[in-house]
Parts: sequence; C-alpha cells; structure tokens
Amino acid sequence: MPPRASKRKSVPPNSSSVTSSDGRSVSNKAKTKGMEKVDRLFNTYANSSLGMIDPEGIEALCADLGVDYTDVRILMLAWKLKSEKQGYFTREEWQTGLKELGVDSLSKLKKALPELEKEVEKPSNYEGFYIYAFRYCLTEEKQKSVDIESICELLNLVLGVQFRPQVDSLVEYLKVQNDYKVINADQWINFLRFCKEISFPDLGNYDANQAWPLILDNFVEWMREKQS
Amino acid sequence: MSNQKKRNFQIEAFKHRVVVDPKYAEKTWSVLEHAIHEIYNHNASGLSFEELYRNAYNMVLHKFGEKLYSGLVTTMTAHLKEISKSIEAAQGGLFLEELNRKWNDHNKALQMIRDILMYMDRTYIPNAHKTPVHELGLNLWRDNVIHSSKIQSRLLSMLLELVHKERTGEVIDRGLMRNIIKMLMDLGSSVYQEDFEKPFLEVSAEFYMGESQKFIECCDCGDYLKKAEIRLNEEIERVTHYLDVKSEVKITNVVEKEMIASHMMRLVHMENSGLVNMLLDDKYEDLGRMYNLFRRVPNGLSTIRDVMTSHLREIGKQLVTDAEKLKDPVEFVQRLLDEKDKYDNIISQAFCNDKMFQNALNSSFEYFINLNNRSPEFISLFVDDKLRKGLKGVGEEEVEIILDKVMMLFRYLQEKDVFEKYYKQHLAKRLLSGKTVSDEAERSLIVKLKTECGYQFTSKLEGMFTDMKTSQDTMQGFYASHLELTDGPTLVVQVLTTGSWPTQPSITCNLPAEMSALCEKFRSYYLGTHTGRRLSWQTNMGTADIKATFGKGQKHELNVSTYQMCVLMLFNNADRLSYKEIEQATGIPTSDLKRCLQSMACVKGKNVLRKEPMSKDIGEEDALFVNDKFTSKFYKVKIGTVVAQKETEPEKLETRQRVEEDRKPQIEAAIVRIMKSRRVLDHNNIIAEVTKQLQSRFLANPTEIKKRIESLIERDFLERDNNDRKLYRYLA
Repeated sequence: MPPRASKRKSVPPNSSSVTSSDGRSVSNKAKTKGMEKVDRLFNTYANSSLGMIDPEGIEALCADLGVDYTDVRILMLAWKLKSEKQGYFTREEWQTGLKELGVDSLSKLKKALPELEKEVEKPSNYEGFYIYAFRYCLTEEKQKSVDIESICELLNLVLGVQFRPQVDSLVEYLKVQNDYKVINADQWINFLRFCKEISFPDLGNYDANQAWPLILDNFVEWMREKQS
Repeated sequence: MSNQKKRNFQIEAFKHRVVVDPKYAEKTWSVLEHAIHEIYNHNASGLSFEELYRNAYNMVLHKFGEKLYSGLVTTMTAHLKEISKSIEAAQGGLFLEELNRKWNDHNKALQMIRDILMYMDRTYIPNAHKTPVHELGLNLWRDNVIHSSKIQSRLLSMLLELVHKERTGEVIDRGLMRNIIKMLMDLGSSVYQEDFEKPFLEVSAEFYMGESQKFIECCDCGDYLKKAEIRLNEEIERVTHYLDVKSEVKITNVVEKEMIASHMMRLVHMENSGLVNMLLDDKYEDLGRMYNLFRRVPNGLSTIRDVMTSHLREIGKQLVTDAEKLKDPVEFVQRLLDEKDKYDNIISQAFCNDKMFQNALNSSFEYFINLNNRSPEFISLFVDDKLRKGLKGVGEEEVEIILDKVMMLFRYLQEKDVFEKYYKQHLAKRLLSGKTVSDEAERSLIVKLKTECGYQFTSKLEGMFTDMKTSQDTMQGFYASHLELTDGPTLVVQVLTTGSWPTQPSITCNLPAEMSALCEKFRSYYLGTHTGRRLSWQTNMGTADIKATFGKGQKHELNVSTYQMCVLMLFNNADRLSYKEIEQATGIPTSDLKRCLQSMACVKGKNVLRKEPMSKDIGEEDALFVNDKFTSKFYKVKIGTVVAQKETEPEKLETRQRVEEDRKPQIEAAIVRIMKSRRVLDHNNIIAEVTKQLQSRFLANPTEIKKRIESLIERDFLERDNNDRKLYRYLA
C-alpha cells in the first residue's frame, strides 16, 4: 500500500509494530500520521476485547458528533463504511470508510456529514443506500425479512424526507393490515419504486396487472377505499 | 381446257352455263316469300320442301344470299307485326292464350323456314357474320311482339296478376304460365330477368312484407312460423312448376328476408309463445321448424342460440342458488341431470344435433354449476347415494348410463380437486361401512375418473380398495394363527394406509376391556409381520354389532358405532351413569359424545338408553339409564351414524381450507415447472400458463398465484429482472 499523502508533516515511522486484537499486523512503513489518527479515533470508541466499535461505542460517537443515535446520518455513515453488522464497525471498515470520506478527526467527520447526505441522495447512489438500509436490519444469520415495526421506522428514516405523504400512508397501512407480519427484500425494493413511479395520492397510473408485489396491490386497494 | 388425248369414255360434269338472269333472283325470292306467307298462314302442306330448299340453295350459290337474308327479315318482321296486332286485340284472359298460340305457331314456322334455308344458315350467314335463322326468328319475335309497347307491360302485369291470384288461393292455368315463362327463357336470360324475374321479385317482396306484417300482428310464434314455412314451400313449388330453376334461390331469399329476417327478434321474444316458451314446453315440432327456417337467414341460428343460452343460464342460476332446492343434495343433482337431459333431447330432436348448440349448452352448464361452490360436494353426495342404494337392482347398462351422466357433470366442475376431496371422504365411509351396492360400479367410476383426470387423481382411491382387500387377507391370517379366539368377540380390522385415506384426527377412546385385549393381540400380530410400521386405532370410524337383553327379556342385536359400543358396554357394570362419568370412562371427545348419546337416547325407535331429564339435547348434568322398555319390531336395530351427509358449515369451511392449502404446493410446482423450461417470463404470461396447467384440477386465482411467486422469490427460486420489473427469472 503506497504511503498516503498526509496533510501534516509525516513523522518518522516507529520501529515497533502494533498488533490489534483481531490478529492483524499493521506494517510500520504504511502507517502515516493520518492513518494513525484514524486508528486512534477508532480506539477511542472501540470495545477493546472485541476489537470493534460496538453499539455503546456508536452511541458515544453519536453523542460526540451531536447526532441522535437514530438519525439517518448514522445509517448513511454505516453505508459509507460498508458496515456489515448492525451496531458494529470493524477497524477495517472504519479505516476504509474514513479514508473515503477524507477525514481523520472527529471534527472533520462532523463537517463531512452534510456532504455525505448529498452523496447518498445522488440518484446513482440512492437505490444502493436504500437496499443497504434493509440488509443492515437483517441481524440474524439466514434472516430474510424484517418485522413490520422496524420496517415502518426504517421507511420513515430513509424515505421520510423525500416521500413524506407516501411514507405516512404506507406506514399507516402496514400497521393495520394482517396479511404480512414481515417484509422481505423484494417487497422493500418495490416500496421505493412505488414512491418513485406512482403518482400520489391519486394512484392514477397504478396497474394491478403489473407485477407489483401483492402487498402493494392491497395497499392501493385500501387507499382507494379510504378515498371513496 | 379439255383433254386432247384420246381416252375411253369420259363422263364429264354437265357444265351448264347458267344464265345469270337478273330477274332470276327476283323470281326465286318471290317463290320463297310466298312460301313463308303460306307457312305463316298454316298452308304449308301444299309446299314442296325440296323445291324450296333448292331455290334457297341456288340463291345463295349465285351470290344472292344478301337478298335472301334481308328478304327473310323483312317478311318475317311484317308477319310478326300482324301477329302482334292480333295478340293486342285479345281481351282479358285470352291475351296470354293468344300469345301462347301465336308463339307456338311462330316456332313451327321458324322451324320450317330454317329447314328450307339451311344452306344459307350454314354458308352465307357465317361468312357474312349474320345472325343464324333460328336466333333471328327469336330476336324478331322479341323485338316485334314481346317488346312492342302494347304488349310488353300488359304481358308482365298479366303474369304478375296470375301469380298473385295463385298466392291468394285461386287456381290458375299453370301449363299456360309455364309455356309463357319458357318462351321468355328461350328468348334469352336477360329477357327473362328484365321482363319478368326482376319485377316478379320486387312484387313478391312487397307482397310478403305486407303478409308478414299482417300475420305477426295476429299470430303467435308457432303459428306464424307454420305460415312462413307454408309460404316458403309454396314458392319453391311454384318454381318447379313454371319458373326458371335459377329463380328458386332468389325468391326464397325474398321470402326469408321478408317473413323471417325482418321479424326474427320479435318472433323469438314473443311473449307466451316465443323461443323460451317453446323450450320450457318441449315443443319439438315448433322448435324444429324455427331451426329450419332460421338457418336460412343470416344470424338466425346464432339468435336462437343466444336466447337459449341466456335462458339456460338464468334457470340454471336459479336452480343452484335456490335455498329450498339446496336442502337435498341428491335432489339437487337429479334436477341438474334432468335439465341436461331435457336440453339434450331438444337439441337432438329439434336442432339436428347441431354442434354449436351442444357447445352453448355445455358452456351454460359450466357457467352455472360453478356459481355454487358446493356443487362438487353435492355431486359426490349424489354418487354416494347411488352407490349406496340408488343403483340397487339396476342393470349393468343402466348403471353405466347413470355414471356417464355423472361424469358429464363432473367435467363441468372447475374445482375438481374439491370434488376429489369429498369423493374420498364419502368413498371411505362407504368402504368402511361395507355399504356399497356394487363393487363393479365403484370400480367403473374410478376408471372413468382416471380416464378423465389421469392417474394421480385416482391412485389414492385405488389404494383404498387395495387396503380393503389386504385387510381381509390380514384378518384371515390373524384368525388362522389365533384359533383360541374363535369363541370370543369377532374382530374385523381394516388397516388403512395413511395418505390414501382422508385424514382424520385420531383421538383414541377407551375401549372396553374385552376389546382392547383383542386389539392388542391384533396389533402384535400385525407388527410381527410388518415391522417398521405404526398402527393407530381410529375409533371414530368403526362399527360394532352387539347383542343386548332388555328389561322384559327382549333381545336385540344392535348395530352401533365404536363410540356407541364403548358407552353401552359401560352399562354392563352400572345401571345409572352420569354424562361426566361416561365422558371420563370412555374418553370420547365432547361433541362426538353428545351426538352419540343423542342418537341412542333421543331418537324414536333407537332409544336404547333413557335420559333424565327427557330433553332433546344432551346436557352435561344429565344422567343415563338403559331403557328397559325399549321395543322394536326388528331384531336387528341399526343405530350407528356413519352415513355420508351434507357437511355442516364449520365442516365445510374446514374442508375448503384444506383444499386451499393443498392447492398452494400445486401452484408452486406449476410455477417452477414453467419457469424451469422458459427461464425468463413476464408476469401476465406466467399467470396464464399456470392457470392453463392447473385447469384440469381447479381454477387458479391470479392473486394466489402472485402470492406463490413472491414466496418463491423470497426462497430464491426466482428473481425479478433488474431492469424490467415485470420479468421473472428462474434461479437454477
């Protein structure tokens, strides 16, 4: 790995190598001061026995960033970090992610958040982020669907700003219907398509003969009954 | 140049130098002219054919063909003008006769003239491109007589008048008509058409328009059709007698249009006598007449068919939704069969077995049978009734006929899998209670079902028969190896293979000691020969025959269900038992126990038990006693209730739920099969293909299919295409 161009004067490398508890050995030559800072920042929040930032650590990070734990920006951060497990950041995820963001300190991270938001909202990224949000909720192994409660929260979080009326109606419907207790990935992705493609609230261009998931057919029927 | 050489006698042609006498032509012509006059004046007998022929021949030979021809034309024309006048002079009815006579005369004359002038006909005329004599004669007749101003219109109106007279019932001279018409035909088809046929058709149209209007106001449908048929036949007969055969189709078209096509709707829908009434009253003759007449006009048959179809659908719908009629399933199905028979007869007797009508009948039946979702159940109950007792004593052929009729109804069902479920249940009851009238009939029906639906449909049913047979063999083996048991109660066990028989929740009750010991012996015997199997007693399905002695010593043999046996046997050790005691001792589930006690305590003629209080229902505080006063004129009394019955509401719902559950894997299997072969397919096409594949079993619901697709997506059998959301892809 080529040495990273750092904004500060590079400090001559130490001769000792640091081994983190997940067994990885970071070579001294590759370490720059910036990397060191990122790493140190990691250690501030990491659970030392796990070698990862755990939910507590994330909570602390949020507090320091002045952002609520449930704020969508944390989800965006997770996406940026390509975090695999909900509530945890590994060292590698942290390092790669922060490098992508071009930050190595807390204040810089805080400043980078609005830009991150913009990045996510770019059409080329948005769908990926949306799908990521769902997968991030699949906490158990082999889990394929997410319960209705969580879905409703997630919809609010992820789509609430752009598609407020759709989200409100959809959430209301999901809470009253009995057909489905969980939502799967296919249904999730179609929620977004629904918001993007179907005119709301008239639903004029919704065609039940198209291959929309049944839950959306039912939702539309429910909306139409409400409206009449 | 004569031959100078000396020869033997040579006969030379007589070279007679003909003097071309300029007056020669005149003289010759006047001879001929005179002859023509004589011919027309009926004086031909004095003429020499040979001389006249020679004269004509000479004229042509000497190049006077032109003169001869034009002379002929002039002379003949003059004569025809005379003739024309005499015809004009004829009064009234004599006009046609005169015309006819003169025509005959002319023809005769023409014949003779033509014979005389035959040489000219064959030589001069073709060379000079003139009209041949015979044809000339006809044309001249046409132009000078028929088309003469005084004759033309009079001729036409006379002909039309005669036709009208005949139509109104008078007798006319058909021979005369025929001759006149033939004359027109001989003069050329355009003459016939212009001078007669066209006006004839117009006048006929007016006539029939009026007539049909008159009839429709005063006749009912059947009578009107009779009249129309009569008129039609009349016109056909008229044509054969005195018109050109080519006119037949034209005049019949007129009659068809005016009498039938114009009034078609009014006839069909006529109140009290229209098509529907005819159908209701099986008026084969009238219906047949209507069919034959209507098939001649455009949309005639389709009109009949449509009205019949909507009528059928209406009465069918009433039949299947009438709550009264639905009380008795057997009666209900019988009525369906009767209705089908009725219409089969109508179609064969009156509608010439027309295939399209058959199709309309079938589609109507299919429509309304499926309006009632209990039809499958009822048809199975009907079959059950027949196989249980209805076919007793009925000959083999008749049995086949009835079963075929049932199969026909079965074919109309959309939900064949529901039928299968009920049929299995009812068959199980029949087999286990030994209550089937004819084994052959049962098997025959299974074969028919197999032919219709394939092996899978009937494999389980056949399994049931096999189990019965195997059980018989097992019982024999059991008793053969346990000879010590022949004195005790006789046990008959039917071993049912799970999966072939309808599933029942098996709650074993507590059998009386004698029985449970015996059952255990059987169990060990069976498992001894069939290791690895598991037996569970189905005490809710068995029967028992027990001998009972009552208070006054009256003995009876009671045929009861296993549950009832358990209850009764308790009374060997107690005179009085409370409901709760019975419940505890037997372990029979509550609703079954109540039903069981009710059938023994509350039904007249079967009340082997007495209940306190004497209410109709079984209460949990009731007490039961043996009814010492029990009497029956029969030694053997049947109390068991294992007969197949119409399901109660909750049972029906349960069955339906099970059917729905069974359908899910079938739908999924169909989807996977289709996607495996097509790889990529869009939504609407999947729905269509799946529906088609499952059609022989049930009508698949598109929403249900969609649910299954989504389930398959979740389980990673299918995926949606990334770009086109309507497309599904098979994931290997």
